[in-house]
Amino acid sequence: MKTFKSEKRFYPDYLSEIIFSILIALELLLVLVLIFPPEVGRQIDFSKPFQPLPEWYFLWLFELVSYFPGNLMFIGTFLIPLSCILLLLLIPFLDKGKYGRIKAYIAGSAVLLVFCLFTILSLVE
Amino acid sequence: MGKLFDWFDSRFAVKAPHRRFFERSIPPNLNYTYCFGGIAFTYFLILVLSGLLLSIFYVPSEKEAYKSVVMITNDIPFGWLIRGVHKWSASLFIIFIILHAIRVFVSKAYRPPRELNWVIGTSIFVIAMASGFTGYLLPWDQKAYWATEVGTSMVGTIPLIGKSLMYMIGGGSEVTGTTLIRFFSLHVLFLPLMIGILLWLHFHIVKRQGISTNL
Repeated sequence: MKTFKSEKRFYPDYLSEIIFSILIALELLLVLVLIFPPEVGRQIDFSKPFQPLPEWYFLWLFELVSYFPGNLMFIGTFLIPLSCILLLLLIPFLDKGKYGRIKAYIAGSAVLLVFCLFTILSLVE
Repeated sequence: MGKLFDWFDSRFAVKAPHRRFFERSIPPNLNYTYCFGGIAFTYFLILVLSGLLLSIFYVPSEKEAYKSVVMITNDIPFGWLIRGVHKWSASLFIIFIILHAIRVFVSKAYRPPRELNWVIGTSIFVIAMASGFTGYLLPWDQKAYWATEVGTSMVGTIPLIGKSLMYMIGGGSEVTGTTLIRFFSLHVLFLPLMIGILLWLHFHIVKRQGISTNL
């Protein structure tokens, strides 16, 4: 273990900061629940048409699929999501050598860009 | 401390290791973005607690699932609150994992010797997304049904293993009562257990290697 010049210790300095942020996090949660309480959805009815809508963090996947119809669908459902996960996993191993940090930046921002861009595109529609 | 605690401590020696943990020095240049991981963990604990409470009244069956969710929301005292807390902390869990990952990336904390902890963190993120996907079906309403129908047929388009994988997780080519039971099992048993084990590893690696000071 490295030792630091600072007099900062886990207890009481860091612990009190963590507890403070946890209290803020709990408050944020309660405010959201009270402003947007859960609703009961409509009962399943196969005779009525319904536009499927996933959780917000899957919107980008639903959007991606709409660009690859028919036989190419696996690009949107498999190839691009898998590449995103692999790029994320590889970040520490890409960051080697002179341009390592730049490679890591490209990998990380590519994943974030795909996620944000297609989420926004799906919300715009 | 009191006699009772001394009796306990003389047998299990819990004081010394915790003192070491509490008195360890912390790098001076940390800011509040270093709390994102801790906040995400807080939401995970809230998810476990509220999920345990929901599981008391929820019935994972084709006929009863929708009715039990209506009952939780409208009849059970504070049921709506527990459901809302579970739903919102799931979203906040995902948001704070992303923020935590961005903080780790910006502070270069993924660099050696911490590569494996980055890999573990990414795995937790993927499993958290899978938890969100399986949990979304459980209310068994229109929205849940059709989103899962699209989701599982997307799994089916994966080359070679897609069809078998779809049958394995969904129990058939369409979303049925079997899918509901499988998703329930994944959502309340398999995935939380996997996240729990990975989080344990995640924190112990941080404890071993210390907080990164690459800033």
